Amino acid sequence: MMTPAPPVFASVANVIAVFVLLAEFGMLRAAMLRAQIRLYAFQSLLLSVLAAVAAYERHVPELYALAVLSFALKVVIVPTVVQRLLRNTNTEIAGSGALGVASETLLALGVTAFGFFSVGALHIQSRILPSAALSLSVAVVLVSFVLMIVRRDVVSQAIGFFSLENGVSLASLVVASSLPLILEVAFLFDLLVAVVVFGVLMRVHHGRSRSLSTTQLTKLRG
Amino acid sequence: MVLAGPAIQVCQVGTVLVAGPGVSGFIARVEARMQGRRGPRVLQPYYDLAKLFRKESLAPDGASWVFLVAPFVAFACYLTIPLLIPVLTTFGLPLGYMGDILGGGFLLALASFAIALAAAETGSPYAQLGSSRSKTFGAITEPVVLFVVFTVALITGTDLPYALAATVRSGAGQLVRPAHVLAAAALLMVILYETGRIPVETHTGTNEFGMIEEARAFEHSGPYFAMIRWGSSMKQMILFVILINVFVAPWGLASTGSPTAVGLAILAFLAKAAGIGIIIAIIDDSFAKLRLFKISEFVAAAFLLAVLGVFTLYLGGG
Repeated sequence: MMTPAPPVFASVANVIAVFVLLAEFGMLRAAMLRAQIRLYAFQSLLLSVLAAVAAYERHVPELYALAVLSFALKVVIVPTVVQRLLRNTNTEIAGSGALGVASETLLALGVTAFGFFSVGALHIQSRILPSAALSLSVAVVLVSFVLMIVRRDVVSQAIGFFSLENGVSLASLVVASSLPLILEVAFLFDLLVAVVVFGVLMRVHHGRSRSLSTTQLTKLRG
Repeated sequence: MVLAGPAIQVCQVGTVLVAGPGVSGFIARVEARMQGRRGPRVLQPYYDLAKLFRKESLAPDGASWVFLVAPFVAFACYLTIPLLIPVLTTFGLPLGYMGDILGGGFLLALASFAIALAAAETGSPYAQLGSSRSKTFGAITEPVVLFVVFTVALITGTDLPYALAATVRSGAGQLVRPAHVLAAAALLMVILYETGRIPVETHTGTNEFGMIEEARAFEHSGPYFAMIRWGSSMKQMILFVILINVFVAPWGLASTGSPTAVGLAILAFLAKAAGIGIIIAIIDDSFAKLRLFKISEFVAAAFLLAVLGVFTLYLGGG
């Protein structure tokens, strides 16, 4: 049986969504913390591009504003802030995760399959983006969970949390792109709060333990 | 005037046979130019082959006929595959449907198996290391090829290379669908691995510990070595044909059997192969060689792409 090709716009949107997922996989395996931050910036850039493309194709001008805002915040400000925090700690390479790279990738692939097919079974239709993008966004969220669970340093966990937000905003582009702009902006400011919290966490943790690794946090201290 | 099917089939094999070393020479030349060197002539591989054919050949002590017959088995495999894939035409030629993409993949695997077997015959540690490494990583690249074939089969409903090329030509929607993009990217990564290009190994013929493909022919010499070298440049051409004329740019192929159409198709194919060669030269010059134990991560990334391609197809969004 032949599978007919979806329309060009749907394919382009799906390709961008697939690249968002691939960036998440890249973050999972990146050993250099700086490379991880760069991948996060790249993922956010893809998301802004997707929002702009959807705005152009489906004539939803609010999405342009969202694209610009998320570009300014997630591609420029957040990576810069995290890079600066990282520069003060003089750490470049993350310690090894709880699993090897190959098993991490396989685990994430399994989780992705679960996300794909469980959401695909719901048959949610959207006016703006193809529904495959929704499954991909759920896969992004699940892989970012894996990232936060298996990596044992504060920066990776922070980046995992930020990219989780990217997955959620991809999902919101699919199911709720006609959401009032003010709510979307509120989400973005939520992210800013998270950046501040994680920044404080990184500083305090590094100040106390002289490392970014979280392995020492298993001991209770009086 | 219309050329008969068998004549065009001969042209297909002839193109791969004759132009293979030239494309290798072209890539080496472009690569050298990008590094600011003058580089060897484009025709240098032909001179190398001519020189090797004139030299005497030696076999290691205790090597049996397997060692001597392997270069010819591999060469025969590489001569058979161009019959199955659309090198020059959009329509199937005589014998063109005797095997699908999977059949071509089996022949490629048979050729590399023959050479690995010959390397194991020599008793030389370098050659044996090379063959054992190429089989180890091949255990990951072969599933990638399988998944790429599955993607093709899901898209077209058949796994004939001619059918996929026709599907891709049918509209821009086919070219940008995620499954197609992912499968083509995975195939490119497999080609980089199979032709021994830079993220995997250096292609310049220097002897080093990290060699994989290059190390396997370590003990062959003279005409036997020439057959292996020629065969590996044909293998590169075959992989380029699959990437270009089946996946990325199946345009410029002859749709009739007229001699002008076939001639133009040969020129168009050489131009497209040169284009891919330039891309590969850029990759060669801009990345470092991976450590041996990182190569499994490289091929695992290709596997990830191919599996995601199949996933998106099943979701209906591919």
